[in-house]
Amino acid sequence: MAEGIVFDIKEFSVYDGPGIRQTVFLKGCPLRCSWCHNPEGLTAAPQIMVSRSACTDCGKCREVCSGGTCSLCGRCVAVCPNQARRIAGERMSAQALAQMIMRDAAYYAACGGGVTFSGGEPLMQHRFVVETVGLLDDVHCAIETSGYADPEVFERVISRMQFVMMDIKLMDDAMHRAHTGVSNERILTNARTLLHSGLPCRIRVPLIPGVSDTQENLRATAEFVARHRAGAKVELLPYHKTAGAKYEMIGMRYAPRFDPERQVQTRKDIFKAYGLECDVL
Amino acid sequence: MTTHMSSLREFFIVRKAHHAFRQPDQDVYALARRFAAEGASPLERSVRRHLHVLRSEKPVVFPEERIAFMRTVTKLPELYTPEEMEALRAKHWLHEQGEVCNINVDYTMLMCCGFDAKRSQLLELAAAREAAGEAEAARYLRAQESILAAAQALADAYAREAQAVGNRTVADVLSHVPAKAPRSFLEALQMLRILHYVMWCGHNYHNTVGRFDQYMYPWFAKDLEAGVYNEETALELLEEFFLTVNRDSDLYTGMQQGDNGQSMVLGGLNPDGTDSYNLLSELCLKASLELKLIDPKINLRVHKDTPMSAYILGSELTKQGLGFPQYSNDDVVIPGLMDLGYSREDAHNYVVAACWEFIIPGRAMDIPNIGAVSLARAVTEAVLEDLTACPDYASFCDKVKEKIVRQADAVQEQVKNLFVFPAPYVSLMMEGCVEQARDVSLGCVYNNYGLHGTGVATAADSLEVIDRYVYGDGSITPERLVRCLQTDFEGEDELLTKLRYHTPKMGNHEDCVDDRAVWLLDTFADALEGRRNERGGIFRAGTGSAMYYVWHPQDLPASPDGRRAREALGANYSPSLFMRAKGPVSILHSFARPNLRRVINGGPLTIELHDTVFRNAEAVAKVAALVRSYMLMGGHQLQLNAVNRQTLEDAQRHPENYRNLIVRVWGWSGYFVELDKVYQDHIMQRMELAL
Repeated sequence: MAEGIVFDIKEFSVYDGPGIRQTVFLKGCPLRCSWCHNPEGLTAAPQIMVSRSACTDCGKCREVCSGGTCSLCGRCVAVCPNQARRIAGERMSAQALAQMIMRDAAYYAACGGGVTFSGGEPLMQHRFVVETVGLLDDVHCAIETSGYADPEVFERVISRMQFVMMDIKLMDDAMHRAHTGVSNERILTNARTLLHSGLPCRIRVPLIPGVSDTQENLRATAEFVARHRAGAKVELLPYHKTAGAKYEMIGMRYAPRFDPERQVQTRKDIFKAYGLECDVL
Repeated sequence: MTTHMSSLREFFIVRKAHHAFRQPDQDVYALARRFAAEGASPLERSVRRHLHVLRSEKPVVFPEERIAFMRTVTKLPELYTPEEMEALRAKHWLHEQGEVCNINVDYTMLMCCGFDAKRSQLLELAAAREAAGEAEAARYLRAQESILAAAQALADAYAREAQAVGNRTVADVLSHVPAKAPRSFLEALQMLRILHYVMWCGHNYHNTVGRFDQYMYPWFAKDLEAGVYNEETALELLEEFFLTVNRDSDLYTGMQQGDNGQSMVLGGLNPDGTDSYNLLSELCLKASLELKLIDPKINLRVHKDTPMSAYILGSELTKQGLGFPQYSNDDVVIPGLMDLGYSREDAHNYVVAACWEFIIPGRAMDIPNIGAVSLARAVTEAVLEDLTACPDYASFCDKVKEKIVRQADAVQEQVKNLFVFPAPYVSLMMEGCVEQARDVSLGCVYNNYGLHGTGVATAADSLEVIDRYVYGDGSITPERLVRCLQTDFEGEDELLTKLRYHTPKMGNHEDCVDDRAVWLLDTFADALEGRRNERGGIFRAGTGSAMYYVWHPQDLPASPDGRRAREALGANYSPSLFMRAKGPVSILHSFARPNLRRVINGGPLTIELHDTVFRNAEAVAKVAALVRSYMLMGGHQLQLNAVNRQTLEDAQRHPENYRNLIVRVWGWSGYFVELDKVYQDHIMQRMELAL
């Protein structure tokens, strides 16, 4: 039985696929995009999160802490009077997750939706995802992925999905390396597979000011997508300044390698010119 | 919005330019002192005040408007001096300010005949009564006629003023209405405006607009068919009417600015099972969507077959952040009202009162907000008085029930000897009042009282703590819990945290705690069943809170769920303010579980959704699906707010930049910056739950 690490299950997701959905966030990601707004999804291991703004420095957490390296015992979470602490990342079995999903599955189905696996990067826990999906009974499954995975893994996972949302962040490989820490080669290979698969999908482009929202990048993306699936649907995700909100909570510093104050360019017209459907979220 | 409408909106709402025509404030007790000196009867006072206000009014007509009438008298005179009021309150139960309020009159009772015909009828009936030796009845009918005469005189003065300023449209319309029954949609809207305006002049506040899309439909449909208007021009005219409802709203009495009861109800099932939602209903939603004003407050009646398109339009409106529409579910409300003894036809004709209480147009002199039972208090009191003596959870529940019954007894006792000031003008639009020459303040077809039930989530969460930790695992002794409540958890920080944050809460779709809410609301309904008020009516249980969510906790000690002493309760039917909700789907499931048909006095499940869930049309349609799902699950009433905490924080810091920022308060929407800080803060606290 595969075990996974889930850092959130969100109800009423409206931007994660058709209908009303529940979204399961799986912890761990191979990319390090400097605009990431879910930094607690980056590392695979569970970790403690502290809201500095809610903390009154009452010291209760220190009183119960046995010191040393954090063992995630959760005692400090239990005693915090301000609900300022929580553990991001819960280990669970595929069966347990499937059970949780099934609880309201009929509700979501009636609202035209289902479940979406997101992250982090869900493909990092592909066995867990595949096993969980295998335990679901008649549930519409979708995935939100960076596409950064072994092509064989990618194909195996998306073949279990009814809907795929995949990012193409940057077309230029050097830029991709510089801003996400990895090459886009596998991503583009997987994108091609997805686009040719006939599966309902959305290609998503995060619009990062001065990085990915440039005419060259958007045009290259549009050209790529249109070449592999005529009339495909593209969603643009403009950068939000609130992206940095959670970094401090996990003891990280938010250090965007771009100018967050710069106006984002949302050029739907570029995609439309290639015959693609385009929406801004 | 057309340029004509934008300029009217700019004039009346943004610049409030019409305020320049208002008269200086008058001494509100001048008349009352005269009445006191003369020993005037209640009816005499009511009539003379009404005539005084109507005669003090000065016509103001603006060149661009098509629907006239604005208030220039700013403060309405009181009927009684403060000393007299004190004496009255000692002898009687005066509901709120003592006036007939919070009902929905049947405007068509005057609109279908016009003032002339009604006045003749009144005079004829008066003569007949006189001949029969019924002097008092005759006097009453003549008093009613005198008010219509004064209102007609004011309308005539408006007509002359319209001529004088060259507004032919208004002059023409007023040459016909209100004297005669309206012939066109425009005349009908002007007549309704006058009827409503005259009602406010009589200090009859919080009386609602009601099923506008139904009773106005014949005029609307006729003009549309005749080609007088197309959909677009009809919408523009409708918007102009909506604007008139906002002209004087800052003068209206209420708990807070905006709490003025101008609610409008759209759609709904007919007794034959068909849906009454029509083109006018849709245009009302659109008008509200375009104007973005606090009035009229839109309510949408829905049922299992309501088309998705109506929910989508409603959700577009929610997206504007106005805090409406509020939805009510015919499939639950109608059977619930019939269970309470309302006729089938009346139940199908229900509207909401000023906030959300279900009442019947033209037939109900119900007082659906006469009092409240605090469910949170019942549990807290049972802990303090009886917990240590109760051997098991079942016997503790018996004690909670006793406390609920005790509170109901107290309200029933308190509201005895009710006195409502006569309202002869309102009575013209309430069934049977003219025929019987009997004022509606004495009662009408239905005379039921309603009680809010506040803090259901706090109460259910508290019961969960008691069953789980006191009778369950025994981790808390009864004595310790009692001490926690008495001392506001002094020295019990860890326990407080556990109870507050790490114990199941209502709203997270956990049957263990949700079932306690089922029991609480059933018990509340049971506690009222069979009780009769002195008017022969019943007592109805509800899930609303009104301002009691702020009032009740003021002297409420800490509760077992970890709520600190004096900490606020959730507004209406909603989770506790500090629970960490899994999401709206869980909340809907939890709050659909109780037998809502039994607590049908009204009171919506209130949910705040972050405004980012409304980004595009597809997402709005998903919000619509969420709303619909609550109705299909058996929810009774729902009110969604699109919120953004940052916006409100900034508005508190820079109110000058947010004059037009609208928020939902309890059963109504108002301008955020005009609210008292306690209500502002509560709204912001509620938003921490935003999903």
